[in-house]
Amino acid sequence: MTQAIRRIVIVGGGSAGWLTAGILAADHQAHSPRGLEVTLIESPDVAPIGVGEGTWPSMRDTLRRIGVSETAFFRECDAAFKQGSLFRGWRETAGDDYYFHPFVLPQGYGEADLVGAWQAGFAQVPFADLVSFQPHLCAQGRAPKQPATPEFAAVANYGYHLDAGKFGVFLRKHCLERLGVRYVPDHVTGIASHENGDIAALQTREHGALAGDLFIDCTGMQSLLLGRHFDIPVISQRHVLFNDSALAVQVPYPADDTPIASQTTSTAQRAGWIWDIGLPTRRGIGHVYSSAHTSDAQAEADLRAYVGIDDMPTPRKLTFEPGYRREFWHRNCVAIGLSAGFIEPLEASALALVEMSAALVSDDLPATRADMDVVARRFNDAFTYRWERVIEFLKLHYVLSRRDGAYWEDNRSDATIPERLRELLALWRHRAPSRLDFHRIEEVFPSASWQYVLYGMGFVPEPGGTRRTHPEAAAQYYREAADLTRRMLGALPSNRALLEHIRRHGLQKI
Amino acid sequence: MPNPVLLNNVQHKDLRVLTERSAALGDDVMFALTFPAEFRTLQAHYPIVFRKSDDATSFEPVALFGFEQGENLFLKYAGWDAPEVPLLVERQPFLIGRDGDELLVHIDVDHPRVGTHEGEPLFLEYGGITPYLERINSLLLTIHQGLQTVPGFIGALLEHDLLESFVFDIELDDGSQNRLAGFYTIHEERLAALDGAALGRLHRSGYLQPIYMVIASMSQFRALIARKNAARR
Repeated sequence: MTQAIRRIVIVGGGSAGWLTAGILAADHQAHSPRGLEVTLIESPDVAPIGVGEGTWPSMRDTLRRIGVSETAFFRECDAAFKQGSLFRGWRETAGDDYYFHPFVLPQGYGEADLVGAWQAGFAQVPFADLVSFQPHLCAQGRAPKQPATPEFAAVANYGYHLDAGKFGVFLRKHCLERLGVRYVPDHVTGIASHENGDIAALQTREHGALAGDLFIDCTGMQSLLLGRHFDIPVISQRHVLFNDSALAVQVPYPADDTPIASQTTSTAQRAGWIWDIGLPTRRGIGHVYSSAHTSDAQAEADLRAYVGIDDMPTPRKLTFEPGYRREFWHRNCVAIGLSAGFIEPLEASALALVEMSAALVSDDLPATRADMDVVARRFNDAFTYRWERVIEFLKLHYVLSRRDGAYWEDNRSDATIPERLRELLALWRHRAPSRLDFHRIEEVFPSASWQYVLYGMGFVPEPGGTRRTHPEAAAQYYREAADLTRRMLGALPSNRALLEHIRRHGLQKI
Repeated sequence: MPNPVLLNNVQHKDLRVLTERSAALGDDVMFALTFPAEFRTLQAHYPIVFRKSDDATSFEPVALFGFEQGENLFLKYAGWDAPEVPLLVERQPFLIGRDGDELLVHIDVDHPRVGTHEGEPLFLEYGGITPYLERINSLLLTIHQGLQTVPGFIGALLEHDLLESFVFDIELDDGSQNRLAGFYTIHEERLAALDGAALGRLHRSGYLQPIYMVIASMSQFRALIARKNAARR
């Protein structure tokens, strides 16, 4: 049990596998004989799937951490800027309502009672539009930075939209050429165990046995190691979040100068919602829905109606069991990515959870097998909490809707709302979401995100209370947001123009 | 807007150019473009720093005259208060144009320096060029050759990560705070850490001396602050 952890074997490429490999290899000197040995085995004939995906701003730190150039990333991953999400039609069946969940915190967040003063004097303005400049940048199709802003630096906080298939290939190249990751393109044909039940080695078709100290399962939904080998079950969340199917298409822009949206747009449907992600060369659009509430044919008809072009390609269908594993780290095996769990991509949490998982494995990498059980217990605790919080946050988007139909009514039914979310909603009748509700050091969503969605969905707190408020201080911050809006609209190029500049000239590193 | 036209001794035979330095004649600029061959002369008077080109695709070296847009602390009533004026200031209102391989002198006819009454004549009575214009011709050629070395020089700096951004906070004698941002300088630790082979390559390309001239020019910031304090009194 005092055996040192020196050999990491990652099973499965794709963005989860290669991000994990990149973070571990960069942090632990895989290129050096003194460093960690990081091996990634990937089936050579599994073609990468080019789904358009969104990331959080954390991806900027992750990319910088593994040492890639942001210019190369934009060019090779068909990447674009993402400044947050726009929700359309989530409040009412009529569907002309909207709200933003921007990545930038409200101006003066935590410094003044922004919610109280908004309710008292500015309730006719959407909350996010009043407290943040970023919804206005999105509405005007602006980029979050200038051509002269260095790589990874922002004028307005941003993440990315990217082609997940190309992203995996890009990361693989960097891992192999720069970070010293060992690559084994082969099939896993068997698993050899130690007496205590730990995985000893993976049998491969052409490369013999691959021994390791820690095995990372990035095999996607098949969850080869954690699910199939160790039989760790998925805790289904179907009773909270009903969506279990998706239809995805790629749609070209009608013209070379069509604006590129710098937010993910999510439009509510009769039994789900449609995502719309703007990449530089095309849009990625998909309908995610509940198979218990609508048929595939109806879902496709709704998608066609949204896309609105005659020659829409046949969509690709995906199905999933919404949920996460009972444990993520079991013995000497940890699952990262879809092998750990999957939930509808409403707030682009998939890649963010991969980043957080890989970072925690790397930061808290056990030195010996004996240490591993302690680390595993903490990891499981942290990620069970994070999955619960993601699910509660996604559920928040549904519970306040006034849309008609069985899907939306079921979503509002008390029995489908997690206990902790019900408690929070009760508290929030009298005060705004705050750091007191989210006390962990590394929360998944900051309390500001809960405010953006809560008030975006039209939640009205009850008036009264004894707390002293400073409406003038809040008004000062609203003016600050308006002033920043004006200055940024005057200085920021269009999203398409900056993406084109990056394609032609790149961004400077400094 | 500049209005450059090809200079010729028929259309422009009566033109004269004012050569004194003043804000009214367009010298109220915070910085001027320069190039490695000029660093040695300029570093004795001005901080030499780098800025992003206007299209943000590269960097360019500039001699700094002030701390904010439009501020030139070298402009005095008596003219330019330094023995060396950067060539890209001195060349006004002329510029070089190109016709195929041929370099041709152009003049910005809308420039405040250009008139017909006062200043240096450009052409002699029968169409020959004056010594003044002759000097301008050779100055423009020097600038042209100098600017052609800038991309290679900048490329070498970027290759070795030798540029870093800096923010310069200044407290003036009257207690006011000023900040200079948006410029770049040489990263001296990275320069010191370069191995012999890299230094040898920089030296053979003629880049090593200008790099050290930029570093030496940093001591001119003190003089520039003194000028700023003097201007406020």
